[in-house]
Amino acid sequence: MQATDERGGRITAHALTKRFGSVEAVSDLSFTASPGVVTGFLGPNGSGKTTTLRMVLGLVAPTAGEARIGGARFCDLEQPARAVGAVLDAQGFHPGRAARAHLRAHAAAIGLPDGRADEVLELVGLTDAARRPVGGFSLGMRQRLSLATALLADPQTLVLDEPGNGLDPAGVAWLRSFLRGFAGSGRTVLFSSHLLAEVEQTADHLVVISHGRSVYQGGLDQLRASSRSRVLVRCASPARLAEELARGGLLELDTLPDGRLAVGGADPVKVGDAALAAGVAVYGLVEERADLEQLFFQLTGAGSAAAQDPGVHPAAR
Amino acid sequence: MPGLLRAEARKIASTRLWWALLIPVSLLTVSINLFGSFVGMGLGDLGGDPSPVLLASLAYALGLTGVFAAVHGIVSAAGEFRHRTITTTYLASGGRGRVLVAKMLAAGVVGVGYAATAVLLGLVAGLIGQGDAWPPALGALATVAGTGLLVCWLWSVIGVALGTVLTNQVAVLVLGLVYILAGENVLSVALTSGGDRLVEPSAFARLAAYLPVNAGDVALYDLPARELAGERYGPLVVEQLVGVAEPPPGWVALLVLAVWAAAAAATGWVVGGRRDVT
Repeated sequence: MQATDERGGRITAHALTKRFGSVEAVSDLSFTASPGVVTGFLGPNGSGKTTTLRMVLGLVAPTAGEARIGGARFCDLEQPARAVGAVLDAQGFHPGRAARAHLRAHAAAIGLPDGRADEVLELVGLTDAARRPVGGFSLGMRQRLSLATALLADPQTLVLDEPGNGLDPAGVAWLRSFLRGFAGSGRTVLFSSHLLAEVEQTADHLVVISHGRSVYQGGLDQLRASSRSRVLVRCASPARLAEELARGGLLELDTLPDGRLAVGGADPVKVGDAALAAGVAVYGLVEERADLEQLFFQLTGAGSAAAQDPGVHPAAR
Repeated sequence: MPGLLRAEARKIASTRLWWALLIPVSLLTVSINLFGSFVGMGLGDLGGDPSPVLLASLAYALGLTGVFAAVHGIVSAAGEFRHRTITTTYLASGGRGRVLVAKMLAAGVVGVGYAATAVLLGLVAGLIGQGDAWPPALGALATVAGTGLLVCWLWSVIGVALGTVLTNQVAVLVLGLVYILAGENVLSVALTSGGDRLVEPSAFARLAAYLPVNAGDVALYDLPARELAGERYGPLVVEQLVGVAEPPPGWVALLVLAVWAAAAAATGWVVGGRRDVT
C-alpha cells in the first residue's frame, strides 16, 4: 500500500478487458480520473460503463488489465470504504429496512460511529425520512440514500453509476454542485451517464466509450473545438452544385429531408464560390457547427439517423 | 471483524424475517411436545417413565427447527443478492470471505436462538401436557438441547453457504426445502432398498446415515432412543425413526453434519469469492 498515493485517490484503468462468454463487454480500456476534477464517463446504454465501474471497484474480475484506486488495486485496500465510495445502483436496498438502519449497518461494517449515519442523512436531505422503510422511497430518494451510503466514510474517491437517474431538476442541480465541490476539495469523482447534457454541465474531463472501447478522452472544450462545421445550402439545383463541389474536392455531401444540401468540412465562402461557378442560384446558406450531442452520436455511432438533422434530438430519458 | 458482525446483526434485526420464522418454530415445538406428552402420559399410565418420550419430542422439534434455521440462513445470504445490497456490503467490508464468516456467525446466533426457543417452549409444553412435573434428567436434557443448538447452528451455516453459492433466493429456498423435506427421504429409501436393511445392510444403505439431514436427526435421536429402548436397542429405534441403516453414534453423526457444513462453507468461500457481482 502506497500511503502517499492514497491522497486524492486517483483512478487509473489500464487495458481493462472483460468478456462475458463470447461477448466482449469492455475492450482494452485505459483511462485516468484525476483528483481535483470531475471525470464524466459517457456512453450509450450497454456500452460497458457499468461493467467498467464494477471492475474498478473489484466487484467484477477483469479478463485482462487492471484498475487501481490511489495506486492500489481495490482488493488490496485495507479499508476500501474509506478510500472509495460508490453509488452503483439505486435499487440496492432491502425494502423493509429503514434508511437509518441501512446506514447504521454499513457504518458498523466500516467501523464508524452510529452518529455518522445521521450526518450523511442530513447531508443528502433525508433526515425526515430516516425512520421510513426504503420500500416507500421514490427513485430520487433512493439515489440520495445511495449517495449517503457512499459518503459514510468520507472517502477520497467517489464512483457513481448514472447518479442523475430519477432525480428531479433541483436534485440534479444539487448533485452537480455537490460533485463539483467534492472534486474542488482535491478529491476524485468518476461518474457515468448516458446523457450528454448531464456530463456537459458537470464534468471537466470526459471519457467516452462505445461498444466497450474508448472513443474520446479529453476536455470538453477540446471536444467542442474538434467539432467539424458544415454548410447547409438551399439552392435551385442541388445535383449541379454537388457536382461542382465534388470537382473542388468537397465530397462530404448529404441531402437533408427538407431538400437542402449539407456540405461537410467546408466554409460558406467556398460553397458560395462553387455555386457561382456552377451557375446555380442560391436561396439560403447557413454555417452550422455540430453541437456536442451530434458529436456524441458520431463518436459512439449511436442514433446516427437522428444526428443527421439537428432539429431532431432523440428523446433524452 | 467485530464491525462486520455488528453490521450483520443489525441487518438481521432491522428486517422482519427472524421473528416471522420464530412464530412457526414456536407453534411447531409447542404442538409437537404437547402431542408427545400425551403419548408419554399413556406410557406413564402403564408404569413407564414418560421423560424419554419428552426427549424424543424435543429432538423431533429441534430437527424441524433446523429447517427454519436453514431458511433463515439462505435468506440472509441470498436476500442480499435479491435486493442487490450485496454490492454495498462487499464494498464496505474489505474481503468477501470476511462477509461470509460474519454472516455464518450472525445467522448462526439466530439459528441457535430458534433452537433455544424450541427447547424452552417444548419443555414447558411437554411438562404441562404431561400433567405432572416429571422433568427428564438434567444431563439427558442438556445433551439433547446442546445437540439441537449445534445442529441448528450448522444448518444456519449451510443455509448461508447455499444462499451465497446459488444467490437466487427463490431457487435456493425451493431446492433447499425440497431436498430437506423430501429429497433426502427419497434418496435414503433408494439407498436402503437393496438387501435387508436391518439384518445385513449394503454399503449403499449404510451411506444413508451420512447424508446431512439424516446425520442431524441421528445425532438428535441418539440419546432419546437409548433412553427409550436401552443401550442395545437404541440404535434400532434410531434406524426406524430416521430411516437409515446402522447409524453411527450421535457424536459421530454430529461431526458428519459439521463436515457437510464445512464443505458447504468452503464452496461458498470459493464460489462467492470469485463471482462477478454485476
